[in-house]
Amino acid sequence: MNFDFSEEQYSFRDSLRGFLADHLDSPTRASDPIDDSQHLWAGLADLGILAILVPERYDGLGLTFVDTSLVLEELGRHLASPAIIDTMVATDAIVRYGSAELKAALLPRIAKGQARIAIAVHEAAAGCELRDMSTASSRQADRLKLRGDKILVCDATSADFLLIVEGATEAGGPQLVLVDRNSAGVELRKQTTLDLTADYYQIALREVPLEDAFLIRTGSAGSSAAKRLLDASALAAAAQMTGIGGSVLDKAVEYVKQRVQFGRPIGSFQAIKHRCADMAVAVDSSRSAVYYAAWALANEAPECPKAVSIAKSYSGDMSRFVCSEGIQLHGGMGFTWALGLHLYLRRAKLLESSYGDSTYHRERVLAETLAELSAARR
Amino acid sequence: MDFSYSNAELAFRDELREWLSDALPPGWGESVFEPDDEDARARFRLEWERKLFNGGWNGINWPKKYGGRGATLVEQAIFAEEMAHARAPDGLNIIGRNLAGTTLLRHGTEAQRERFLPKILSGEEVWCQGFSEPNAGSDLASVRCQAVRDGDAFVVNGQKIWTSFAQYAQWCILLVRTDPSLPKHKGISFLLVEMKSPGISIRPLKQISGESEFNETFFDNVRVPVENLVGELNGGWRIAMTTLAYERGPEDSLGRQIRFKQELDRLLMTVSGLRRGKGLAIDEPVIRDKLARSIAEIEIMRLSCLRSFSQTIRGKALGAEASMSKLYWSHIAQNFYDTALESLGPLAAVGRGDALSPADGHFQLSFLNSRAFTIYSGTSEIQRNIIAERVLGLPK
Repeated sequence: MNFDFSEEQYSFRDSLRGFLADHLDSPTRASDPIDDSQHLWAGLADLGILAILVPERYDGLGLTFVDTSLVLEELGRHLASPAIIDTMVATDAIVRYGSAELKAALLPRIAKGQARIAIAVHEAAAGCELRDMSTASSRQADRLKLRGDKILVCDATSADFLLIVEGATEAGGPQLVLVDRNSAGVELRKQTTLDLTADYYQIALREVPLEDAFLIRTGSAGSSAAKRLLDASALAAAAQMTGIGGSVLDKAVEYVKQRVQFGRPIGSFQAIKHRCADMAVAVDSSRSAVYYAAWALANEAPECPKAVSIAKSYSGDMSRFVCSEGIQLHGGMGFTWALGLHLYLRRAKLLESSYGDSTYHRERVLAETLAELSAARR
Repeated sequence: MDFSYSNAELAFRDELREWLSDALPPGWGESVFEPDDEDARARFRLEWERKLFNGGWNGINWPKKYGGRGATLVEQAIFAEEMAHARAPDGLNIIGRNLAGTTLLRHGTEAQRERFLPKILSGEEVWCQGFSEPNAGSDLASVRCQAVRDGDAFVVNGQKIWTSFAQYAQWCILLVRTDPSLPKHKGISFLLVEMKSPGISIRPLKQISGESEFNETFFDNVRVPVENLVGELNGGWRIAMTTLAYERGPEDSLGRQIRFKQELDRLLMTVSGLRRGKGLAIDEPVIRDKLARSIAEIEIMRLSCLRSFSQTIRGKALGAEASMSKLYWSHIAQNFYDTALESLGPLAAVGRGDALSPADGHFQLSFLNSRAFTIYSGTSEIQRNIIAERVLGLPK
């Protein structure tokens, strides 16, 4: 048993940290918060980030979600575009459930940073339950066509493909559908959102013709593909929120060490110390939850849904608490636009409500636990 | 990262599982629980402690020559997992095992280890902890209980407070002032005191729950042989810090996590059977949300302990991070007992002995006792100071 990362995993994280700090941590981030440039993607591809989950036979590194967890946390820490993470999560779906043709066509391109995939899950009138989603395909004149509306699809205009989650209908599904972003019937509308560090789009899907090779399984396998995609996305959100929490904690600690009032650093006051200590405990606890969920996801452990839901619910509460405390500890400066602390709060808020909020995931934790208990007593 | 076990570890697990299935009474943790009466519970726990010892399962991480089995941290994690799974109770000699023994292993002489360690594990000698005083609580270094050298003994005079298990204990770890002229951290020594020594008197303190687990302990010209000094004269503060780091750290937390998990399962079973309106209490959305929060927080307590273990195995020394563990569990456990009472609804206030009380008042008692979590072994305020100054590097 070893619940820690290897030296290689830590040093991989450190090189990513250096790269992201150079590219994203500028003092003027608040006035120019978005970077989804080809330059950034190419750099991440050079580091091997996009190849982590791609099998070696498709020119990837053949690693698992355990190897991504520190990476996802780091991407969150620097407020990198969630589109990068979408592409990684979509890679997992293609590797596990895609057709041979799809794998051969896409995986080598993904590993090189030459194919971006945006994930489309949320709908305006559906939470995270597949049965509530109304996006669905139907066969028309021997051709499957997709109809529906998705919201909050990150950086959709620069994506090459959209990976769309269908709702569960009586006719079948749910399934995952991969659509060329330039297909007929795909309409994008840029949305106004809380998160200023990435662009988000509403996608109208109007009888979009589907390629059979691009369907990611149907029936029960499709269901598990869709469920796994939601779990992986929830885990990725939890990891990013944990990174955000760590970053805000570090910034707050740094600030209270140097900010002087009443003739001494405010960090010497217990009222300030105690808030920092509570933040540190929350961030570290969130790490425990996220790393374990990543292991459970990588190993398809039976407790995976529960582990993911524990991580997502805890990190959601943690990031809300830590981002708010971070602003409070910075006083008036924390409330300014220019300092950019609000960028963390904004992204964290978007992630908190994505892929099931804390309340949704806690209900799943309880249901899973009661099922375990009754199975144990039977 | 790897949660699988080696063949030797699996064999260890199977051996423990088999032993536990024989050692626990039928229906244990489902319909049979440990007594809620405190004296009966103390006797029960001492018996269980001796049973563990006779089976070779007490103090498993201690070296074999002192009665342990030299278990690795992974084996300790397996032990915790299996004890939780079997809902096995804890022993009585927690202070002996976790504090006195651990401190002697680190700082005791070989003669002290041979004299004291085996009898801690066998349950022959139960220990209590004489650290706090009426005027030395959070400011522990200001202890005044005095020890003056007189020939081959120290003569101890003073008072200790919150001495848990003093009424069951044969021995006490005692912090005393041996040089009042030195700065306060530098004039403290660490003594081992036999509780039947002439001059020791105990006055039970009735606590919040009505029980008297803890006591005031008075020392009136108590003679303590000089060989019962641990470490150097006036070097006791550093030794006490070892004791406290262990008391607050992940090994202690993992043991507690087992008990909280058992309490959680018991609560879920209780609430699942409680009628509320036309349905069951477990169907109420707000109750479900709060129970789920506790499930998550108690599971994270386990995960954080395992992470600490793995970091220790990689060679990272346990230091002030122990306070993070203690601060975390003390608050989530209090939240859990708040939720426990809330989930009992109108029966929340109906206590032990009343026919209508769910689980015969067990959760009310635990709720009251949980108020101590954020006070003992260093208040949350002290833990936060330690975390802020020694983990985060904030100025004094």
